[in-house]
Amino acid sequence: MKNNSNLGILLKGIIKENPVLVLILGTCPTLATTTNVVGAFGMGIAALTVLVCSNMLISLLRKIIPETVRIPCYIVIIAGFVTIVEMIVHAYFPALYDMLGVYLALITVNCIILGRAEMFAGKNSVGKSALDGLGMGIGFTLALVAMSTVREVLGNASFAGIPIPFMEPFKIEIMTKAPGGMLVYGLLIALVFVITRGKAPLKKSFSCAGCPSAGHCTASGACNTEVKEEQAQ
Amino acid sequence: MKSSIKSIIVLVGICTVMTVLLALVNSITAPIIQENQNAAANAALLEVMPEGKNFEQVDISAYELPATVTQAHKEEGGGFVIQLTTTGYGSDFVIICGVRADGTISGAKCLSSTETLGKEKTYGENFTDKNAEQVAAVETISGATKTTQAYKNAVNDAINAAIILAGGSVDIRTEEEILADNLAAALPAGEGKFTKLFIVEVIEGIDAVYTADNGKGSVCVVGETFVGIDETGKALTDDTALAAKLEAQMQIITASEQTPVDLTAYEGIHKNIVSVSKTATGNYVLEVKGAGYGITGGDEYHPASGEYIFIRVSMTPQGKIIDTLTVSQKETDNIGSVCADEKFYGQFDGKTQADYDSVEGISGATLTTKGYKQAILRCFEAVAILEGGVANEE
Repeated sequence: MKNNSNLGILLKGIIKENPVLVLILGTCPTLATTTNVVGAFGMGIAALTVLVCSNMLISLLRKIIPETVRIPCYIVIIAGFVTIVEMIVHAYFPALYDMLGVYLALITVNCIILGRAEMFAGKNSVGKSALDGLGMGIGFTLALVAMSTVREVLGNASFAGIPIPFMEPFKIEIMTKAPGGMLVYGLLIALVFVITRGKAPLKKSFSCAGCPSAGHCTASGACNTEVKEEQAQ
Repeated sequence: MKSSIKSIIVLVGICTVMTVLLALVNSITAPIIQENQNAAANAALLEVMPEGKNFEQVDISAYELPATVTQAHKEEGGGFVIQLTTTGYGSDFVIICGVRADGTISGAKCLSSTETLGKEKTYGENFTDKNAEQVAAVETISGATKTTQAYKNAVNDAINAAIILAGGSVDIRTEEEILADNLAAALPAGEGKFTKLFIVEVIEGIDAVYTADNGKGSVCVVGETFVGIDETGKALTDDTALAAKLEAQMQIITASEQTPVDLTAYEGIHKNIVSVSKTATGNYVLEVKGAGYGITGGDEYHPASGEYIFIRVSMTPQGKIIDTLTVSQKETDNIGSVCADEKFYGQFDGKTQADYDSVEGISGATLTTKGYKQAILRCFEAVAILEGGVANEE
């Protein structure tokens, strides 16, 4: 795969391996914080910051961290950065802090961040990990902003809190509720699938080649056996 | 072994580094967060005291304040912003009230409530720039009497609290506490436990009699004066004229005996009259049940509790009420249940069939009031029949 070029690493997170719309990771904050554009953008930037920082630090420490305790180490690092981001947001953006509530702290257990740490940062250089974090973060933010735009405009007749008067009579209230979130999420996934058809890695075959992470995976079929075992059960 | 030691060292190392990092960031952000939160809290304070500067929280545990006060802030100019939690129609309701140094209200606002009518949202505006006396004159809102009365009481508490916090002193005892204190002072032997005596004889110049639960005498209330009567019947006062008068009256009360009246011998006495007894002086003591909330035809059961209101009435043979008492009731809490309050049933004392209907009803409990008054009317009718007359047709 050509993914190993620096530009490729940065860009793959945006569409081709978009964490939310292709890898289907981090669905909880995706559904919960996309009722308005401001909250979604704030969430995206917060996650991006944590992603870049934790990716860099984990990559830096990848040769020191023993295999057996790598997950606790990752979690400590990620939780630390999340708390730092949380304190900064609380101090300088109190309105955003109130808007995001518990979801800010929940970035700690966001699959995207732990996933990138495990799949990429733990095996690649600091520079590449930073680019990977940046790309994934941008992809996450764009997905959130796209989704929240649809939901806020259709559901609340406003964009980033600014009312759109001519949309007012056509408000679809359910868009701001959980079912509307699910609906928009599904449609966006379908849209990305159509756009990337033939280019995005298809998951129809559960083989390593079909895996979005195939380009940099060193597990060489280890997870494949797990999948097969799961299917057999 | 070697690898697990390495794991421990690495994990501890990472934790230490992250902790130091967190401590660093926290030292920068914590003061800013604190400042933001203070600004948000002060915004609420400023709303009720726009002229206030440099609010500072007061430790209220150091003062004896009205029980409703939950928080107090002192302001540079000597004013206070008091936060109170009181009970309105049903549940807790939080009011914040600014009191200026001169004792006037700078503003009052309801912070949270579950009141039903929403009247509490704007009612606070009525208090702006008023002093304690003017606050008392602010009218309650009809249909939201309980809520608005609670609001008024809270504002009053805030004024008192401000006086106390400023170093003054105010009598913050409730009416019940004042009564209990007066009774205990008049008859220390009563050990602070008294029950109001149901009066069945016509007595002159005594407003109420309380007997000590331990049997060590009683206390007579004459206007504002509380006079103890010990177990031998001696009045504990230096005023000999008053003592002689009270002793004589107390003799009548304690000597009074009642004999039951056989109601089957009389026709036309309403079935809700449970029992009647007659004193040696000819007065009647009637036990009557009144239908409460939900009555339609006149005397059906209370639909919610299935209970009547049981009332005791003493009356002269001429049909003048001596004393009234609500013995038991199961009316709606905080509405109809007010009929068990002496403030309500005490109004009937001294009334006759001609003027009993002028008694002020219970706000929000028209049917309870109606049932109660109907029961009182049946007592008048019963006494008229027992005295050989004929009951007035309804």
